Amino acid sequence: MNDFLLIRKNLFRKKLRAILMIVSILVAFAIFGVLAAFERAFNAGEEVSEADRLVVVNKINFTQPLPIAYFNRVAAVEGVRQVTFANWFGGYYQDPKNFTVVMAVEPESYLKLISTEYAFTPEMTEAFVRNRTGALVGEQLAAKWGWKVGDRIPISSSIFSQKNGSTAWDVTIVGIFGKNKPQADTTLMLIQYAYFDETRSFGKDTIGWLVLKTASPALNDQVAKSIDGMFANSPYETATDTEKAFNKAFVAQLGNIALIVQLVVGAAFVTILMIVGNTMVMAIRERTREIAVLKTLGFSGGRVLRLVLGETLLLALIGGTAGLLLAWLATRAMSQSLGNFIPGLSLSPGIVAAAIGFMVLLGLATGLVPALNAFRLRIADGMGRG
Amino acid sequence: MSDLPLVRLAGVSKGFVKGKDAITIFDKLDLAIPAGDFVAVMGPSGSGKSTLLNLLGGIDRPDTGEVQVAGSRIDALSEGELSAWRAAHIGFVFQFYNLMPMLTAAQNVELPLLLTRLGKADRRRHVETALTIVNLADRAKHYPREMSGGQQQRVAIARAIVSDPELLLCDEPTGDLDRTSADEILGMLKALNRDLGKTIVMVTHDPAAARYARRTLHLDKGHFEEKELAA
Amino acid sequence: MLRQVLAVTRINLASIPQRFWLSLSTVVAVGLVVMVLLSFLSMAAGFRRTLASSGADDVAIALRAGARAEVNSVIGRDQVRLLEDAPGLVRDAQGKPVSSAELYLVVDGIKRSSQTKANLPLRGIGEQGAAVRQGIRITGGRMFAPGSNEVVVGKSLLREFEGFELGRTVRLASGNWTVVGIFEADGSVFESEIWADLPVVQSLFNRNNVFQTMRMRLTGPDALTQLVAYNDGDPRLKLEVKSEKDYFADQSSETSDLIQKLGWPLAIAMALGALAGALNTMYSSVASRSVEIATLRAIGFGGFPAFVGTLVESLLLAAIGGVLGALFAWLIFDGFSASTLGASFTQVVFSFRLTPGLIGQGIALALVVGLIGGLLPAIRAARMPIVQGLQG
Repeated sequence: MNDFLLIRKNLFRKKLRAILMIVSILVAFAIFGVLAAFERAFNAGEEVSEADRLVVVNKINFTQPLPIAYFNRVAAVEGVRQVTFANWFGGYYQDPKNFTVVMAVEPESYLKLISTEYAFTPEMTEAFVRNRTGALVGEQLAAKWGWKVGDRIPISSSIFSQKNGSTAWDVTIVGIFGKNKPQADTTLMLIQYAYFDETRSFGKDTIGWLVLKTASPALNDQVAKSIDGMFANSPYETATDTEKAFNKAFVAQLGNIALIVQLVVGAAFVTILMIVGNTMVMAIRERTREIAVLKTLGFSGGRVLRLVLGETLLLALIGGTAGLLLAWLATRAMSQSLGNFIPGLSLSPGIVAAAIGFMVLLGLATGLVPALNAFRLRIADGMGRG
Repeated sequence: MSDLPLVRLAGVSKGFVKGKDAITIFDKLDLAIPAGDFVAVMGPSGSGKSTLLNLLGGIDRPDTGEVQVAGSRIDALSEGELSAWRAAHIGFVFQFYNLMPMLTAAQNVELPLLLTRLGKADRRRHVETALTIVNLADRAKHYPREMSGGQQQRVAIARAIVSDPELLLCDEPTGDLDRTSADEILGMLKALNRDLGKTIVMVTHDPAAARYARRTLHLDKGHFEEKELAA
Repeated sequence: MLRQVLAVTRINLASIPQRFWLSLSTVVAVGLVVMVLLSFLSMAAGFRRTLASSGADDVAIALRAGARAEVNSVIGRDQVRLLEDAPGLVRDAQGKPVSSAELYLVVDGIKRSSQTKANLPLRGIGEQGAAVRQGIRITGGRMFAPGSNEVVVGKSLLREFEGFELGRTVRLASGNWTVVGIFEADGSVFESEIWADLPVVQSLFNRNNVFQTMRMRLTGPDALTQLVAYNDGDPRLKLEVKSEKDYFADQSSETSDLIQKLGWPLAIAMALGALAGALNTMYSSVASRSVEIATLRAIGFGGFPAFVGTLVESLLLAAIGGVLGALFAWLIFDGFSASTLGASFTQVVFSFRLTPGLIGQGIALALVVGLIGGLLPAIRAARMPIVQGLQG
């Protein structure tokens, strides 16, 4: 026997009560895990963004086009190491409800620039560059529809149409790519800009946005200023910002997700703090006589205090771990059904670490009052005088 | 039986305040109990029997006066020092056994050993010895609720002696037991005193119980009258 | 029997102060559950109402097939002309239909609450743009003058985003625009928009002869069918034509469904936590009153009063929690203004709406927690053996 056994036996002496407390803690941590995973998924773009990457968009709004001529002009700006561009395609597969991220890109420069987060083999790069109607597909998207290399599929646009009136483009899948960063989302398709631009019925020679790499993050401000200055007072003024700031601003448009998560998680934790805290005060009060006996046996106040804190810590850890496990199962199930809408839904090591931190805090907070009561208990009072 | 006093009270006064009244329990009480003695303390309720036991066990402190037990001036020790001192020198036996309901007999006996540096194997050996002394080796894995009152009290005695303290303090140890069980417990205490040399102070209101002791102290209004009994 | 029940219930309720903190924690837990539920439901209801009030039955909207949202749609001048000749449209004395071909563009604005860039809709509307919609009222300033660089802004947009006060100049694309009016639109999504004259927007945004949607006032209930048949029958059109009401209902359902789908599971999960707390409290209540219950049983009371007394205590605690939760939700959230990205990729400003129906749902959830939380302990109270109870 050791102190841990004593703690465990104490905790489970009233099984129903212990289980009820564990359930309430489990619920709170499951809520925390799931919501934190959601919040992180929303901010995944901010997390994967690179410090030396800038995004150039139309100053009016990023949905407004830029002339393709900007590609070469930006490439010539001092401090720009690499540059590429993309055009939003507004894609869907078969039914407008099957919204799909499709971007028309300049193959060579685009693949080179985003190769930090996505894993392209030399073969698929070459195939994509060479094949005008070729498409590269992320592995999650390919898995969703069961696409394989060599499949010829029609991909529709909710925005553009071809000169012949059709709203669907036929593309051949020439490669299925994975990712280099765990948070990167692979539910997307890349098609050739040249193919898209020649066949579309309007908007020719315009692009959606430019992405560039600076020679060093220290040059970011200077490069952004010179690009925006270069196009000032033209019909297409630009706004250049870091990829991180751009992604952050985009997520902020959905609403204050962080605040919602904090409020709900806060409410859940206040609930268990009150329930578990009060129950533990009561449980320790019921055990007053036993604590007095332990003290007469020679257990010091500090040791008794540690026994009580150990009990609330154990309680928080059991409930919290079970809750995290449930959150893990739930996010896994949800990432399958919501993967298209919210990619990258998962419990990260950071969330787990934060949860463990909260478990320890919860254990200490709920144990504090009863532990101090036990610590201060005078034996003669505790024994109720025989 | 040695003449060196194991317990010495000198000029101990103790009172408490109840409502608006200050009640005196002891006024300049003196007492000496030599090592190896077995003393029964009798007296009407409110005479201070339990307070005396608490003073000897370092659970309560005198208002004035000195309490010396097993070589230490325990009235001068801090709370932390008292805990350690109790663990080393005192074994307690209570009227209502006060076993931990969620622990087995062996685990209950082992409790005080958690306060020592003994390893697992040593602890198990001590527990077995203590349970054998109280004739309960076969009940080691039983929980308190599975045992009779007398058996529970024997577990409590095993718990009191497991760390080999010099002084056993017993507070009405047979107060909750029938005659047969009580005799068994008292016989056991007598044997501990006679064979293992444990010094025992036992509070009781049962004259039959007091007869097992070497001598009886009558406590009345905070003063002793002693009656020697033939062993 | 009734007298017994009342007597036992009184004992139950009188003993609550003995477990004040534990009882309070149940009340707070239930209250927080109700608050979380109502915050999500009122958010969903507010969003849905904003979009629902935007669409009229007697207005048809035409979009490119597959576009789903105005921002994606493209229709040409020829198609606009064909639609103007369609049957089923309300026409003025000269025979011109009450319709508005429109351009829907996204421009940047700064959200007051977060000071971040957000997508705002700039709508170029035709001469009949205001007339085709119902309930448009200029509450400050005047309507923009045709052919000028003037805009009018919805009052929700003005509330949530910076720089659109009356008389201010805003730079959109290569031109400066003056805010000359503020309008109301019955709390609809149009109140989150900026409106300007269509030809001016087309020219300043390099979109000459490009339109995105066409709105048409219909003559009656059958007119939509006629219009759809006309559209489907002409290969040059092949647009998606539906009532404006259906269009906005589709848009609202996704977002408000999502909010509700988040809100209910969260609230139910939290309710399970609160239920654990309620059970705990009620078991403690039964345990602490075991002597009283046993004494009453010994002098001839039945088990049923003990059952009812415990259940009433639990329901009362839950009801207090539910009412407090609803009250705080109403104080904090009702009318709370927020905005999020709508289906057209632009900000939709809406207000949380806590309706009596939603409050009913919240309190019902609280009572369910109270009922389940009280049931098992109440059964224990009713079945408690007298002898064991008397021993305390």
